[in-house]
Amino acid sequence: MVVIRGGAAPPGAGQRHRGSAVDWPGWLACAAALAGFALCLLGWLAGGGAFALPWAPSLDLELSFALDGLAVLYGLLATGVGALVFAYGTRYLSLHLEHQRRQAVERWRFWPWMALFAVAMVGLATAQDLVLVFVFFDLTAVCSYFLIGFDRAEREARTSALMALLVTVVAAVAMLVAAVLLYAAHGTFSIPELLARAAPSATTTLAAALLAVAALAKSAQVPLHFWLPRAMAAPTPVSAYLHSAAMVAAGVLVIGRVHPLLARSEAVLTGLLVVGAASVVVGGVLALRRDVLKQVLAYSTISQYGYVVMMYGMGGAAGNGAAAFYVLAHGVAKSALFMTAGAVTMATGEDRLSRLGGLGRRAPVLAVAAGVASATLAALPLTVGFFKDELLFTAALRHGPTTAVLAVVAAALTFAYVGRFWGALFLGPPRGRVGSTPVLLVAPVVVLAVIAVAGGLVVEPFARLAEDAAGVSAGGPVALSPAYHLDARAENLMALAAWAAGGALLALPRVVDRVSRAVAVAGERAGPRRAYEMAVHALNRASTALHDREVRDLRTSIAAVLVPAGVLIGLAFAATPTAGAYVVGAVVGADWLILPLLALVVIATVVIAVAKARLAVALALSVVGFALAAVYALVGAPDVALVAVVVETMLTLVFVAALARMPRAAPERDAGAPARVRRRRRDAIAGGVAGVAVFASVWGFLSQPAPDSVSAEHIRLTPAAHGSDVVTVIVADFRGLDTLVEITVLLVAVVGVATLARRRLW
Amino acid sequence: MRPGGRDGAPDAVVRVVARLLPGPSLMVAAGLIAKGYAEVGDGFAAGVIVALAIAPSYVALGAEGVEAALPVLRHAPAVAVGGLLLALASGFFPLLLGEPPVSHRPAPGEHVVKIGALELFTPLLLDIGVFLLVVGVLTVLLHQFGRPRREGGR
Repeated sequence: MVVIRGGAAPPGAGQRHRGSAVDWPGWLACAAALAGFALCLLGWLAGGGAFALPWAPSLDLELSFALDGLAVLYGLLATGVGALVFAYGTRYLSLHLEHQRRQAVERWRFWPWMALFAVAMVGLATAQDLVLVFVFFDLTAVCSYFLIGFDRAEREARTSALMALLVTVVAAVAMLVAAVLLYAAHGTFSIPELLARAAPSATTTLAAALLAVAALAKSAQVPLHFWLPRAMAAPTPVSAYLHSAAMVAAGVLVIGRVHPLLARSEAVLTGLLVVGAASVVVGGVLALRRDVLKQVLAYSTISQYGYVVMMYGMGGAAGNGAAAFYVLAHGVAKSALFMTAGAVTMATGEDRLSRLGGLGRRAPVLAVAAGVASATLAALPLTVGFFKDELLFTAALRHGPTTAVLAVVAAALTFAYVGRFWGALFLGPPRGRVGSTPVLLVAPVVVLAVIAVAGGLVVEPFARLAEDAAGVSAGGPVALSPAYHLDARAENLMALAAWAAGGALLALPRVVDRVSRAVAVAGERAGPRRAYEMAVHALNRASTALHDREVRDLRTSIAAVLVPAGVLIGLAFAATPTAGAYVVGAVVGADWLILPLLALVVIATVVIAVAKARLAVALALSVVGFALAAVYALVGAPDVALVAVVVETMLTLVFVAALARMPRAAPERDAGAPARVRRRRRDAIAGGVAGVAVFASVWGFLSQPAPDSVSAEHIRLTPAAHGSDVVTVIVADFRGLDTLVEITVLLVAVVGVATLARRRLW
Repeated sequence: MRPGGRDGAPDAVVRVVARLLPGPSLMVAAGLIAKGYAEVGDGFAAGVIVALAIAPSYVALGAEGVEAALPVLRHAPAVAVGGLLLALASGFFPLLLGEPPVSHRPAPGEHVVKIGALELFTPLLLDIGVFLLVVGVLTVLLHQFGRPRREGGR
């Protein structure tokens, strides 16, 4: 992308013109999504399929994909909604960039991520390996980071992007831990095999709970829900996609994928039920009084996925079936509502409910389409949404009376906030100026509305999709029979009760207002978002303090390495037994030559410490080097000695040459004499700690040479590697990979030096 | 480093020796590489020795002088990069054959063609790569530090 940015259009009037040109990368993504949709559909009709490639066989990792029922459901959602949202985005993004006076080439910072988002979702839906699932799971988080932060000039967008990334990625680590736990217990990462092998046990419960944590954070469930409303800083197409078919859906997708594992433990299922119910209520109550369009929808998403999590918590065929169906119906409705919000904001320039109203007359097509989408979410008859609630009520009734009451409350809240949203936008006295609404901003909403109504009339295809998906989650065939029944069965009564209660909530705005505001204030004061912000600030402060200490000057940055190393070594020595660890050996033979050399090293070191002139320091350093090279030669390491001599010679030359390039005058000493004394004392302490630690570790090591060290093995194998010089064979063969990395570093280092010194290599 | 010339020019002997030194050093380097697998020495040491032989020329002739006398030095960056690529290739070519990296050919135990102490097998390429890299890198370093300051400015 850097390259593309480098080739940006010349500044000037030309850009404006280009801004309105056809957004072909967007259309390309749209076409790809459509093709993916067709493939998913064909694959489903053909009965699915699977393939696996070896990935890292030594770790038992496989790139295994399967197009089962669950994969088809989420694949169709990701590509189908994706195609519509991308088509919408081609127009939206151009307008968005135009409004912000940004160049049209910034599309290239948008569409690749969008396309990758879709690919990651399809990959996640089809992946059958837990580690692969984790990879795609995090890939969606990375994509969302760049998309939420697309308006990078705005602080709000940047912090929101970071928050979404941190919350979901940190929680996703739980999934990796779960994968490792399960692998340790059952020896495989493959999900179908794990489902077959894992019996109810403490490990299974723990792993299931960890998987649920990762998934719930992704699906923005209480108490990790706070990132989602903030993520509304993203451009509307991103929000529409993220809420309905991608990011947030990824969480419940994972729950659906590993549901049989979660169902091994009643506690985990109950946990899901509780978290889901809490999210339904918190999201719903907060959605009732939000003013910003997208905020209403964001809290509604928390609440809606709360339903799904609740239904997965109920478990069984009914719960799983209802959850799958719900995801489908919600995806259609929610993406339509987001695109409605985007179209309204583009047309009027307003993004608050309180400043909008009466758009019904002026944008009738949008009003009707958005009405259908709202009705779908509110579960009115003749839309596919009616059946989602019917299935919910059936599952809840089967689970117990408390759950049934919760389901009615949830449906009532949904009815109320969706009703308020649509009513405030399209009914009432006209408010705000209305510009033109481009066709492309309305057409996708209409298409989704048509789908919703079609599903309300002929529900069979939707039900079959959900049945197939639920079959995977439930671990057995699931039969769903959503239909209209004109009788007084419990489901119908519950629906009527929910509409009545929702209507009452709409009719009593003042009471609702007070409750919603109280919840919002409580959330601000003691909510998890505050905890998150405090944690991030504290981390930031700690890191800054540490950094300031470390980089104050050259001495502190050297001390920052040496002192902690010395302290750690000291701790290690304190913790290990010292009996026989420090032996004073006999001095024999060549040792009498080594001793004076080491004395020379000591003298040279003292000279380095006290010398004022730079040249003296450089020369004393080389004395240390040559003396040590001689020691190597005497202890029988001629290879090392040769390299040490030549390198030391070169180093001295380079050192002297570098000194010649430095300014002749010494830097002025700071006047504060006490500071200098303190610093000198500090230097002595730092040097002492590091020196004593190294001395002790070297002494300990030489006192107890390991009996069967790896070097014996090296020596044994050297003839087999066609060599007789062990060192060369180690460098070129046994540790060859290390050598390759080291020489790469060498080149990188010299490029760095050259760039610093003269900004070019030659 | 001080360029040769008005202020304290090195005498003729030094200049001649400096100019001639790189030639023999190449022979020493070749020797080190050839018997590297059997005796002391390897590509790295050989590379530093050649660079050490080049260094006096920088002292004696100055950066411009040495680069005029030995125009071949101009290719040092290319030599460094080429050496790295050669070494990496010698390490990673087994991946193409479906083997772990740094598995050498001929494999352990198989027959190796020998010319005196020189053994013809893939670690030799690694050694030559390291040698070229080290010569290139150190020459670039000498070049960077050897320029008189007025030219090295920004």
